[in-house]
Amino acid sequence: MPTLTIDNREITVPEGTNVLEAARALDIVIPHFCYHEALGAVGACRLCAMRITDGKVSGIQMACMVRAKDGMIVSTLDPDAVELRRHVIEWLMTNHPHDCPVCDEGGECQLQEMTIAGGHGNRRYTGKKRTYANQDLGPYIAHEMNRCIACYRCVRTYRDYCGGTDFGVFGSRDRVYFGRVRDGQLESPFAGNLVDVCPTGVFTDKTFRFKSRAWDLQEAPSICPHCSLGCAVVPGARFRELQRIRAGISPEVNGFFICDRGRFAKGSTNDPARPRQPRIDGTPAAMDTAIETLRTRLAAVVARYGPQSVALLGSPHASLEAAVLLRDWAQSLGTTRLVYTAHAEQDRAARITGARLERHARSLNDIRGSDLVVMVGADPLAEGPLLALAARQAVRGGGQVAVIAPQPVELPCRASQLILPTEQLDAALHCLAGGAATTLDATARQQLEALREQLAGAQRPVLVGSSARLGGRGVNTLFDTAEALTTPERTIGVMMLLQGPNSYGGAMLAGRGPNFDMLLDGIEDGRIRALVCLESDPIGESRDPARTQELLGRLDLLAALDARPTATVARAAIFLPTRTGIEADGSYVSNEGRLQAFARVMEPGVPLRDTSPAGHPPREFFTETPGSEPWPAWRVFARLLGRSEDLAVLRREIADLDPRFAPLAGIRPEAPGSRLTTTPGLPHYQLDREARE
Amino acid sequence: MSDLLPQDQRAAFRAKAAAIDHPHELIVDALRAVQSHHGWVPDAGVALVAELLGVLAVEVEEVATFYDKIFRRPVGKKVIHVCDSICCWAGGGEAIAAHLQQTLGIGFGETTSDGMFTLLPTCCLGACGDAPAMMVGLTTHGRLTPESIDRILAQYRAEAAG
Repeated sequence: MPTLTIDNREITVPEGTNVLEAARALDIVIPHFCYHEALGAVGACRLCAMRITDGKVSGIQMACMVRAKDGMIVSTLDPDAVELRRHVIEWLMTNHPHDCPVCDEGGECQLQEMTIAGGHGNRRYTGKKRTYANQDLGPYIAHEMNRCIACYRCVRTYRDYCGGTDFGVFGSRDRVYFGRVRDGQLESPFAGNLVDVCPTGVFTDKTFRFKSRAWDLQEAPSICPHCSLGCAVVPGARFRELQRIRAGISPEVNGFFICDRGRFAKGSTNDPARPRQPRIDGTPAAMDTAIETLRTRLAAVVARYGPQSVALLGSPHASLEAAVLLRDWAQSLGTTRLVYTAHAEQDRAARITGARLERHARSLNDIRGSDLVVMVGADPLAEGPLLALAARQAVRGGGQVAVIAPQPVELPCRASQLILPTEQLDAALHCLAGGAATTLDATARQQLEALREQLAGAQRPVLVGSSARLGGRGVNTLFDTAEALTTPERTIGVMMLLQGPNSYGGAMLAGRGPNFDMLLDGIEDGRIRALVCLESDPIGESRDPARTQELLGRLDLLAALDARPTATVARAAIFLPTRTGIEADGSYVSNEGRLQAFARVMEPGVPLRDTSPAGHPPREFFTETPGSEPWPAWRVFARLLGRSEDLAVLRREIADLDPRFAPLAGIRPEAPGSRLTTTPGLPHYQLDREARE
Repeated sequence: MSDLLPQDQRAAFRAKAAAIDHPHELIVDALRAVQSHHGWVPDAGVALVAELLGVLAVEVEEVATFYDKIFRRPVGKKVIHVCDSICCWAGGGEAIAAHLQQTLGIGFGETTSDGMFTLLPTCCLGACGDAPAMMVGLTTHGRLTPESIDRILAQYRAEAAG
């Protein structure tokens, strides 16, 4: 831990920290472009000059390239260093087009900030500027090469960090060009990160082009809802429209980057087909009326058929707060028929994961630092792309990746591939754990035995599985294997890809309750008469959609809460519109058991571009915002339960009543979140004989 | 594609690339082979080199565009690289460049209408001791004067005609 002095202030930093970072720890901001925490230092931009007055290296140095050493004396205010920085920024600006007024980066441009910080305020260069032809890089990324200052961040992100193969740097001297060999859509599923890393406006979000200035956006820290990994994102909204999403920084989870699905798929928030109006038997109604009607009609069903005739279906996409209140509502109704996903097999897999993850839990950051990642049946680019990116970092750090799957799995890194049919994955896991595995052929056995040896020697191994591919049985075997290979010196880590952003939270709440197939059986034999679906579409999401659709028709009452125009919503007698995660505060429990909060970005409402397509302000005036009816799902249940409709109060209540959710009491969306501990002694989910009532 | 590189040379590059740890080392050689056979390196030449060496097309293009001695556009029979760096400039390089442009009737980056010469500036030929200098094809000519340039150009034209 070297202690050094920067601008007469002492600081102690971890071994290996560079001087630029050490200065940053003292809140001394030195202009820089090429240095990026995730990409490292290359000393290319020559902007972070400081004078080192004592110690082994002395003189003007690039701070990002010098490691902090004990006793070092550094000056960032040294006149020579300041003058050098001023000249460097002037050189970098010679060819810049000064087109800030028409550039989307304006207002959040590092080049603008650094130019001012570097003291370059007057353009002396009067010569011709170098100009480039731009490329069409597809529908998501706009290209404006004239703004480039050649910091190389893009190519380091795209090729080195993300493993893309169709982007590079061409030419030499002052005519280097960052782009593709020829025009065409960028192929990497992480291409959108170019927008975040480019310190100027060369790469900007084409879907956001000319929509808003950064300072006009409503932004808030949020969690990506598209898979179970829980990456940090910062959505930006304006004029009641979700206009763009950029990556949030979460060191334990996604680091600095997100995938293109998380960035460009904006979900139902802006969807013109989104149902926003509460409905009773197809007739629009007020929210209060619809909630009271739901209460009355359910009471009638309970009075006639008993409380167990009511079934509640939660969702891997609903917030934890809504999921907990759904459970509380089930208890108050007196029904135990509560399920958190319409897919029975994924449900089983998630519950086993929740019960068994414990000390095996690993974060994406652990994967990035792993020396051996074994993926069994998982397809990260489809089920959780950032896991694929984390595996690439493991390989870049000297680790290895082994894939066991029914077909070759595309990854942005080197990986050994063992192809086995789905029904043999279980046997493969047994074999890894040291079992005989007689059903496997000799070659597969040999490869698995070699992998078992590798696992035995690995220091930070992680087994990666998928609830979709492995199902309950396979997930259980994967945990058996992890336990069998765990030694007193080191635990085998596990990362399980689950169905949605709150699958884990739902699994914690589902406990030993029934699964959705059992609910269907109950509907079939008439025991279940009413079904309430929370942000879940059983017709689209269950194992047998045709049967589900037929059986839902037999119910006395089908009610749905959702923000999506689903088949179930279309058939529901009572429909209550809910808010998306952009429009409400809430939290999710990610696939590693990490509880993370997201904050409301904007209030719901039909985007102005839809209410006034010509861009003219509305000619009719209302006191209510059009389309602002949706409520956060948790508020609907709070109303039904007669509880506080203040989320902070509800969170404290939840934390008090269920110690597993204790961190919910003080949760903050800008904080990194905390991994929940499963209650010790909580019985494992019964695998073969589910608890039937 | 067939006139980019003869089959035997293709096979030789494939074999060499397979035998070494870093086939990227062969990118310059392969590009030059395509260039000497075809006169310049078209897009298909970049793709061919990538395929022969088992490397990414973007990696080949990065190398091809970095070096000004790899031609990604059609050039004349002989390419003239005239030095515009410090020693040649001090030795009257600007007048030499002007004379070349006037005599050939073309600017930098252009090719004479008879397809004989392409004129390009270059930053250094390593011939500072013989400044001002130019390179025609792969031959360096130093201590240039307008007269010696006229003589040299006439000689190349005569060789081409004969």
